Amino acid sequence: MFEHVLSVIIFLPILAGLILLATPASRSVARFTGLAVSLATLVLSLDLYAGFQATGHLEFVENIPWIESLGISYALGVDGISLFILMAGSVLLPLVYFVFGTREKGYYANLLLVQGAMAGAVCAADMILFYIFWEVMLLPVFFMLGLYGGPQRLPATLKITLYTIAGSLLMLAAIVYLGVSYHAQFGEWSFAMDKMAALNLTGRVAAVAFFGFMIAFAIKIPLFPFHTWLPDAYTEAPTATTFVLSAIMAKIGVYGVIRFVVPVFDLEFARFAILLAYAGVIGMMYCGLAAIAQKDFKRMLAFSSASHMGVIALGVFCMNIQALTGSIYQIVAHATSTGVLFLFAGILEERTNTRTIDDLGGIAAKAPVFALYFAIAMLASVGLPGTSGFIGEFMIVLGAIKFNTAVGVLAGTTLIIGVCYMLWMFQRVFFEKTASRSENFKELSLVEGLAFLPVILLIIVMGIYPHPFLSKITPSTALQFAQPASVVAQAPASNAQNLGLTIEQK
Amino acid sequence: MEQSVNYLGLIPLFPLLGAVLIGLLHVFTCNRTKLPEKVYGILACVGPVLSFVMALKVFVALKGLPPESRFLVHKAFTWFSVGDLHINMGFLADPLSCLMLLFVTFIGSLIHIYSIGYMGGDKNYGKFFAYMNLFLGSMLVLVLGDGPVVMFVGWEGVGLCSYLLISFYSEDRSNVLAGNKAFIVNRVGDLGFVLGMSFLFWAIGAQGFDYLSLKAHVNDPAMTQGVLLTVCLLLFVGATGKSAQIPLYVWLPDAMAGPTPVSALIHAATMVTAGVYMVARFSFLYAEVALAGSIVAWVGILTALLAAIFGMFQEDIKKVLAYSTVSQLGYMFAGVGVAAYSAGIFHVFTHAFFKALLFLGAGSVIYALHHEQNIWKMGGLKNKMPKTYVTMVIGALALAGCPPFSGFFSKDEILYSALATGHFGIWAVGVLVAGMTAYYTFRMIFVVFHGEPRDHHAYEHAQESPAVMTVPLIILAVGALFAGLLNLPAIFGGDQIVSHWLAPSVTEHHPHAGVFIEILAIGASVVAFAIGIKIAYAKFGKGAPEPSFTGFADFAYHKFYVDELYDKVIVQPYKAIGSSIWKVIEPNVTDAPVKGVARLYMVLGTAFKVFQVGYVRVYALYMVLGLSLMSLLLSQSLN
Amino acid sequence: MMHCYLYLSIILFCLGIVGVIARRNVFTVFMSVELMLNAANLAFITFSRVHESMDGHVLAMMVMAVAAAEAALALAVVILLHKHKSKLDTNVFSLLKG
Repeated sequence: MFEHVLSVIIFLPILAGLILLATPASRSVARFTGLAVSLATLVLSLDLYAGFQATGHLEFVENIPWIESLGISYALGVDGISLFILMAGSVLLPLVYFVFGTREKGYYANLLLVQGAMAGAVCAADMILFYIFWEVMLLPVFFMLGLYGGPQRLPATLKITLYTIAGSLLMLAAIVYLGVSYHAQFGEWSFAMDKMAALNLTGRVAAVAFFGFMIAFAIKIPLFPFHTWLPDAYTEAPTATTFVLSAIMAKIGVYGVIRFVVPVFDLEFARFAILLAYAGVIGMMYCGLAAIAQKDFKRMLAFSSASHMGVIALGVFCMNIQALTGSIYQIVAHATSTGVLFLFAGILEERTNTRTIDDLGGIAAKAPVFALYFAIAMLASVGLPGTSGFIGEFMIVLGAIKFNTAVGVLAGTTLIIGVCYMLWMFQRVFFEKTASRSENFKELSLVEGLAFLPVILLIIVMGIYPHPFLSKITPSTALQFAQPASVVAQAPASNAQNLGLTIEQK
Repeated sequence: MEQSVNYLGLIPLFPLLGAVLIGLLHVFTCNRTKLPEKVYGILACVGPVLSFVMALKVFVALKGLPPESRFLVHKAFTWFSVGDLHINMGFLADPLSCLMLLFVTFIGSLIHIYSIGYMGGDKNYGKFFAYMNLFLGSMLVLVLGDGPVVMFVGWEGVGLCSYLLISFYSEDRSNVLAGNKAFIVNRVGDLGFVLGMSFLFWAIGAQGFDYLSLKAHVNDPAMTQGVLLTVCLLLFVGATGKSAQIPLYVWLPDAMAGPTPVSALIHAATMVTAGVYMVARFSFLYAEVALAGSIVAWVGILTALLAAIFGMFQEDIKKVLAYSTVSQLGYMFAGVGVAAYSAGIFHVFTHAFFKALLFLGAGSVIYALHHEQNIWKMGGLKNKMPKTYVTMVIGALALAGCPPFSGFFSKDEILYSALATGHFGIWAVGVLVAGMTAYYTFRMIFVVFHGEPRDHHAYEHAQESPAVMTVPLIILAVGALFAGLLNLPAIFGGDQIVSHWLAPSVTEHHPHAGVFIEILAIGASVVAFAIGIKIAYAKFGKGAPEPSFTGFADFAYHKFYVDELYDKVIVQPYKAIGSSIWKVIEPNVTDAPVKGVARLYMVLGTAFKVFQVGYVRVYALYMVLGLSLMSLLLSQSLN
Repeated sequence: MMHCYLYLSIILFCLGIVGVIARRNVFTVFMSVELMLNAANLAFITFSRVHESMDGHVLAMMVMAVAAAEAALALAVVILLHKHKSKLDTNVFSLLKG
C-alpha cells in the first residue's frame, strides 16, 4: 500500500486511454493494453480493499489544494459506500476484454477513459472534482455509443447526451449554490463534500437546489420518469458500454444521492422522501411490466435493470440503516448479476446474430456451462436466497416496510415481477427445442469460462456469507444516521440571515 | 438450556456438497464421454444416507435430554447483521424439526435409490441427481433453520429445485410452462412470507430473530392483535403458495410434468408439506389469535373438498394423486388451523409414507407401460405386477383412511380435534372429503389393476419393475402400514408418542371432549370410508369403459375452469398492461415531455432559420445593424 | 481640426460598409474591407496626435501588418473559390443557408 493509490487507480486507465488514442496502435494491441491496465487496476483495488479499515470515515485520503482562492482542492478518499462501487468497477471491467471479438482501438481507449472517470467520480471528496469526473464520464459513453453502436444509435446517443447534460447543468448550479452558501455562512470558500453537511439550508432556493441534484442523479440512475433514454441507449450501445452504463454508471447516480442529497439537504430529503420512494417503486413496477412485453432480450434486460435500479433507489429513500445498507449491497449484487447478464446477452448476440427471443431456443443443451452461468446470474437478479441478490432485496423491503407500509408492500412485488419476465425469457432462449439460429451455438471457451468464474463465485459467496462485505459497509451507513455530530456543527440559522445570505433573499 | 452441537450444520451440507459435485461432473461431461450411471447413482445416495444417519444421531441426542430442554442449536456463522437486524446462519433441532428431519432424510434416501432404477437411460441422469440432492439440502435447511430468514433460504431453494425438476424434460414447452407456473405462483406466496417476516421483525425482531427469541417475546406490547393477525395471515399466504392451498393450488397438478420420483419426493412427501411445518413452527403466534387459526382451518378444509372433487374425475394417474395430495394438505391445514399442531404434523408424517409409496407405485406402473399415464389405457395389471399392486393397495388403504393403516389414525386425529374444539362445519366437510377420498383412490386402483386390459399391446410388454424400485416400495409400504401406530390414541390403548414428543416444540392445548365424541369421530370416518369404497367398487370393480362427462362432472373434469379464469383475470391483463406500457404509455406519456422539448427546439429553429439566408453580405448587414443598435443604446444610457 | 480627420475616417468606414453589404464581387468586397481598415487606421493616427502618445501609431502599424497578412490569405481563398465554382459572385457561395 502506497500513498497515492487512489490517484493511480483513477489516472492509470485515463492515461493509458489517452496514449492509446494518440498512438497508431493496432486493435489487438489496444485490447491487450486495456486488459493489462484493467487487471493492474484490479490488483491495486484488491490491495485497497484489503487495507480498508472500515472506520466509517473516508480513508486513503489525498488532499492537494487546487484553486485555493475558491477553496477547491484535489481531494480523494473512499468510505464503505464508495469502496464497493469502486470495487464493482475494478472487478467487473477486466471481463469486457476477455469476451467478444476484437473491436476498434477507440473502443478500448474509451473503455479505459470511462473506467478512470468512474473511479474518479466515486473517490472525489470535493464537489468540483466530482463534477469534473462526472462530466468526463459521459464523453467516452458518447463516443462508444455514437461510433460503435447498433443501427439506431444516433437518436439514442443524442437522447442520452442531452438528458445527461441537462441534469449535469442543474447539478453544477446546485454545487455553486452550496459553495456560495458555505461562503456566506462560514466566511470561507470550500467545496469539500464533508463540510457541506454543516450547512443550514432553508427556504425555496434550497428546495430548488435539492431538485437540481436530485434530477441530475435521477437521470443517471435512472429513476422514473427520467428513464426514457435508457431502453434506446442500452439496446443500441455495444455490449461493453451497456455493461458499463448499467453495472457501474447507474450506481454512481445512487451514490450521488447518498453523498450529496441525504447529508446536505436533510430537511428537504425528509420532506420529499416519500415522493421519491414512490417514484422508485413505480419505476420498478413500470419497467418490470414493460420488460415482459419485449421481444429483444437486450431491451428486456435494459428494462429489468431499470426495474432493479428503482428498488435500489428506494432503499436510499427509506431513511433507515437496513434499507440503506441493503441498497449498497444490492448495488454490488446488481452490478455482478445484471452486468454479467448483459455480457451474456452480448455473447448470445455475437454468436447467433440475433437479439430476438423467439429466434432462439434449446441453448441449455448445447452449452451447459453457459446456461449454468446464465442461470446463476439470473437467479441472483431475481433475488433468490443463496445468491447475492437476496440479501440486499430483503433488507430494502424490510426497511421499506418500516418507512411506509404501502411502499414496502409494493416494493415486495419485485419478487414476483422480476421472476415473470426472467423465467419467460430463460424458457424461450435456453429451454425448449433447439432453434435453427442456436443450432451451432458454441460453448464458452476455456478462457471465457475461467474469466467469468470469479464473478459467478462472487455472486454465490456474497449470498451465502455476506457478513465480511457488510461489515465494511455498515460503519459508513451507520454514520449517515448518527446525526448529532453534524447538528452540533451547524451554523445557527440566525447567523445565516445576519450575514445577509444574498442568494436566499433575492 | 439449549445445547450447541456442531454436527447439525453437516446435515444439510452433505446433500448440498453432493449436488455441487454431481452438477460439476455432469456439466463437464454431458457433451463429451459420459460417466457411467453407477457413479452418479452412488454419489447421489451418499449425501442423503449420511444425512439420515446424522438425523438419527440428533434424535438419539434429543431423546437423552429431558423433554422441556430438548433443543440443540448450532450457529454456523453470522449471516448478516445491520443495525438491529442480526441474522445467523443457525440451525435448531427440537422435537418438531427432528421429526421432519427423520422422515425427510429417510424418504429422501429411499427415493434416491428408487430413482437409480427409474431414471436409467436418461441422457440427463447426472443433472437429475444434482437437482435432487440440491433439493434435499434445501429442504433440510428449511427444516433445520433456526429462524424465519434461514427457513426462507430453504423455502426458496426447494422452490427453485421444484422449478428445475418440473421443467426437467425441458424440450417440451408444456413442461417448462408448468415449471414457470410453479415458480411464479410460489413467488406470490413468498411475497406473503417476506412481508410477514418484515412485520414480525419490526414488532419483536430486534431482540433476536430466531424462533426461540421470538417465542420468548411473543407477549411483548408491540405484538398487538392486529400485528399478530397480519403476520399470521401473511405467513399463511406463503404457506398457501408452497403447500398448494386455495387460491394458489393451481401449480401442483401441473407440476406432475416432472419425473415421477420428483412428484413423490417434492410434490407429495416433503416440499409441499413445508407450509404445514411453517404454521406449526409459528404455533406460538397462531395460538395467540384464534381468528387466524380459523381462517387457516377453513381454507384448508375447503381446499380438501375442492381437490377431492377434481380428483374424482381425473384420467391421468399422477393427476389423481396430485389432487389427492392437495386434498390431504388441506386436512393438515385444517389440523394446524384448529390448533391441533401435533395432529397436523403427524398427518404430514404418515402422508409422506403412503403418498410417496403411491407415487412410486404409479411410477413403477408408468415405467412398465413405457410412460403411459392415462388410467383408461391401463387395466388388469395386478397379475403382471404383483409387488407393485400389493404395495399400492396398502398405500391406497392408508390414504383412504382404512383402520388400522397409518392414514386412518392421523386423519382421525385431525377430525376429532376439529370436533372437540367445536368446529362442526370443518368436521362435517372433513368426513365428506374422507368418503370422496376413498372413492377416487379406489377408482384409480380398480381401473388400473383390475378388470380387463384396455390396451393389449402395452399390457403384453408390461412387467414387474427391478428390485431397486420395488424394494423402496416395500419399505414404504411397511411404513404406511405401521406408522400410524406411533401415535395410537388412548382409546385404542396407545399413549400418543408423537404428540408427546412434539409437545415442547408446539404451543397447543389438547382438548378433552369425552369418549362419546371420540367414538363419533371414529365411527363417522369409518362409515365414510366404507361408503366411498363401496361406490368405487360398484362402478369400477369389474372393469368399466372410459366415461364421458356431462353437466357437473364435465365442469369438475375441467377443474371448474379455474386455470382459464386465472389466465383471463391475471395472466392476460398482466401481459396486456406490459405491452400497453411499452407500446402506448412509454412513447405517448412518459417520453412525451422529452419529445416535447425536442419539438420545441425544432419549431424555434425553423422560425429562426428564415434569417439564415446564406449570403455573407447579409450577415455583414446584421452585424452593422447590431452594432448600430448597441451604440445607440449605449449612447442613450450614457446620457 | 481633429474633427475633419475623424469625419473623413467615418465617411471612409461607411463607404467600406456599404461596399461589403451592397457589392457582390469578391474583390470589391475585399477592397471595401481594406477601406474600413484604413478608416480605422486614420482614426488611430488622429487620436495619437491628439493625445500626444505613440500608442495609436503602434496600433496602426499593427493593423497594417495584419491587413497585409490578411490580403495574402484572402487572395488565396479567392483563388480557391474561383477554382471551385469558376465565379467570384458572393451570392454563389451560400452554403450557410438554413
